[in-house]
Amino acid sequence: MIRVENLRKSFETKSETVHAIDGVSFEVAAGEMVTLLGPSGCGKTTTLRCVAGLERPTGGRIVVGDQAVVNVEKGVFVPAHLRHLGMVFQSYAIWPHMTVFENVAYALEGRKISKADARKLTMEALETVQLAGHADRPAPRLSGGQQQRVAIARAIVGKPQALLFDEPLSNLDAKLRVEMRTELRRLQKQIGLTSIYVTHDQAEALAISDWIIVMKDGKIVEYGRPTQIYRYPANAFTAQFIGSTNLIPGAVRSVDGEHVGVDTAYGVLVGIDKTKRVRNGDKVWLSIRPEDLASDAAGVNRIDGHLDFAIFAGAAVEAEVACGDLKMFCLLGRDAPMTPGEPISLSFGPDVAVVLPQD
Amino acid sequence: MSEQTAGAGPSRLKTFVTAWTTGWDWRRLILVALVLMLVYQVVVPFGMIAWTSFKTARPGDASFLDLDFTLANYVRAFGTPRFWSATWSTLAFSTASTFVAFTIGAFLAWVIERTNTPLARLVGILLVGRIIIPGILITISWILIASPNIGLLNHLGLWLTGVRNIFNVYSFWGMVWVHSIEMVPLTYLLLAAAFQAMDPSLEEASTMTGAGVWRTLRRISMPLALPAAGAAVLLLFITTIETFEVPLLMGGRAGIRVYATEIFFNTSRTPTDWGISATYAMAMTVMSIILLVVYFRLIRHSERYQTITGKGYRPRRIDLGRWRYVTSALSLLMVFIITGVPFLMMLYVSFLPVYLPPSMRAFQSMSLVNYTAMLEDPAEALIPMWNSTLLGLGTATVVVLVVSAIAYFVHKTKIPGRKALDFLAFSSIALPSVVLGAAFLWFYLLVPIPVIGTLTIIGLAYLTKYMPFALRFVSSSMVQIHSELEEAAQVAGVPWRKNFFRIFLPLLKPGLLAAWFWVMVHAYRELTVALMLARSQNRTASVVIYYLWENGSFMQLSAFGVLIFILLIALVTASHFISKRYGVKEQY
Repeated sequence: MIRVENLRKSFETKSETVHAIDGVSFEVAAGEMVTLLGPSGCGKTTTLRCVAGLERPTGGRIVVGDQAVVNVEKGVFVPAHLRHLGMVFQSYAIWPHMTVFENVAYALEGRKISKADARKLTMEALETVQLAGHADRPAPRLSGGQQQRVAIARAIVGKPQALLFDEPLSNLDAKLRVEMRTELRRLQKQIGLTSIYVTHDQAEALAISDWIIVMKDGKIVEYGRPTQIYRYPANAFTAQFIGSTNLIPGAVRSVDGEHVGVDTAYGVLVGIDKTKRVRNGDKVWLSIRPEDLASDAAGVNRIDGHLDFAIFAGAAVEAEVACGDLKMFCLLGRDAPMTPGEPISLSFGPDVAVVLPQD
Repeated sequence: MSEQTAGAGPSRLKTFVTAWTTGWDWRRLILVALVLMLVYQVVVPFGMIAWTSFKTARPGDASFLDLDFTLANYVRAFGTPRFWSATWSTLAFSTASTFVAFTIGAFLAWVIERTNTPLARLVGILLVGRIIIPGILITISWILIASPNIGLLNHLGLWLTGVRNIFNVYSFWGMVWVHSIEMVPLTYLLLAAAFQAMDPSLEEASTMTGAGVWRTLRRISMPLALPAAGAAVLLLFITTIETFEVPLLMGGRAGIRVYATEIFFNTSRTPTDWGISATYAMAMTVMSIILLVVYFRLIRHSERYQTITGKGYRPRRIDLGRWRYVTSALSLLMVFIITGVPFLMMLYVSFLPVYLPPSMRAFQSMSLVNYTAMLEDPAEALIPMWNSTLLGLGTATVVVLVVSAIAYFVHKTKIPGRKALDFLAFSSIALPSVVLGAAFLWFYLLVPIPVIGTLTIIGLAYLTKYMPFALRFVSSSMVQIHSELEEAAQVAGVPWRKNFFRIFLPLLKPGLLAAWFWVMVHAYRELTVALMLARSQNRTASVVIYYLWENGSFMQLSAFGVLIFILLIALVTASHFISKRYGVKEQY
């Protein structure tokens, strides 16, 4: 279990104080994987490094297991090497002067473990990442993906209290990244280790996490399950950052429980507000995912436009539809029309149009 | 284009004429001129030494140019225990000094570059700033500090413990100490680059596995720095082999003779023993060539280690916790010993009319008499300072111009012969200063060009001496300039001369400035070559210090040292200011 409370980290530059982390609080339950997601400079890596002990926060508390590792008010700061955490770095950080085996076994040095036991544990860790056959290779001779596995084996061999991942897949090529993220998820479930995962890749975050924390400018903007964050984002930033979406501006006209009627350039469209926070007259966005738009005119809401541009992408037709001032991006069925200029009407149900306040 | 052998008469002539008048072939002409210049400046001195070592006749004798060679000098040298004891001393002195300098320098480089030690930047600046103090002044101030009878430390020791002369700087370890301290700034510079290039997540990964600072240092940081450290050790060793100031001033009383001093005394005393000097010079040169070959091997292999860094690379420092105050205190103490102590000693002595260890009486006797005496006798102080200034500025400018042309040909053209240029310009690094001085002296005794006793001969020798170093600075910034930049200009029809001045020089500015400052400061403080070539008219500041030392005028010498220090600081600051204000403008 990891608990972060009101974490702050600020730097003094010549002219101002920069708040890299500005009051971040969250909790990671035992055995769960929480992802810190956000654009670069949002403070996600700094937060992770504060948990690791590689960075000294300027305010707040961090509890790992039952030990308070950081309590700035009380002057508590447990150094990184005493926190019993495993970490996987973006650059792999594989020591080039050691073999694969030595890289992993190093993590057991300094503990009271017999040589034979250390060997056994190391080989087990290497087997977990399917690298047992490469134990005696010099580490730099491995491919990027293999180096990353060594880094994982090294992080888990000492049975740490939690695992920290700092954009571990960002140096891999696209195909390997997709493979590795499935494997990481499988591994994490298999070992059952509490984990914090940092990434700027939303697809990775959706695939890998139990919970996602979306960060922006040193603050948490949203916290939720991947499906929930994707389907019902709470604000326009999250909606745009995770997946792609179409935002239609408008003003609330009527509220009926979760369903909200919104006055837009295309007439009144009905959307959903699960949080029930909008009131009549509020300026809002309607956020509709491209895959939720259909060209069969079956939904409650309808927008008319002209097909601007379409490409056939196998599973679907990716189309841009010009609707007045807006361009709607949609994934249409394979049989959708593809001739530019053709009139098209897009429809969607009220449950896929999320009403988000404009701010 | 010029390689095309064109068709009939008139057009062929035209091709030839355009070939020698258009930019592209002026370039070839300059290449030829550069090669000739390098042969004259580098190959001739090498040849001079080798030739002399195989002759019993001396330069100037009629038979000196005959083609009969003899091994008589080698037989004579190798047959004497003096040669072997000099060999042994050179190696022992170099090994010990390298070890001490490396240990201290590595510690400081690590503290300054890789930890969160308070005041680390200040320590770094003071350390590098020390380079502008001439080596001979450092040596002399240590003699004033730790020599028997007059040494400050021995007075302190006598007062504290009642034991006489605890320290004796005139000893093997005394020499090692002074020379090591002198080399620490160089060690720091050599290792700082390596430490900066290291990916900090390699160390953080170690911390995350539960390893403390010291285990990380021992098992991760140190092995990773090994290739760079090996290269630094070799360079320190090569530097010590050719070092001159410490063996010259302290070796005599310590009874330790090394190659450098043997060559100096054999050539500067009458009767000059040319043959033996040349033989020692050959031994010394061969030793540096062997070490350089090993050095380049090592550098080549070290790249394998350095390239392993990730994309998200940010230099980070190790948090030493409370230990950071210990490292801060230790490094401040060291930099005080390295930079502060010699300077303060010099400053103190410069105000004394008669040498006294520090006491009330000494402080009461202080006056400016040494300074006024110096300024009243221009031949003694002002002219040598002017000479050094001229040599520093002149050498730096010429070296940088020559070297940037060389680097341009080597890295930015495909003209045949450019590799030879690189090799020739760099090979003079294997010529120890004392050998270089001897070679230039003998060569100009032989040929009827009247430069002996002028600043020109010293400047020529400096050109050879400083080319390799400046070439490294300029080459490394030259390779960073993409050839597309030049190709774009070529495609646009810009002639190469314009190209060189308009595209390359401005982009090269940082590398050129670094090289210029480096050469300027080193040429100013240089002693070995200047002393070998000194006559009454072309004494440089360092040479005057040596003569003052020979005469036992410590007080005047110290005042002179302080003046040089002030002048150098003014010179460096002014040059920096001028280059910033009027130098080649950045064209972005």
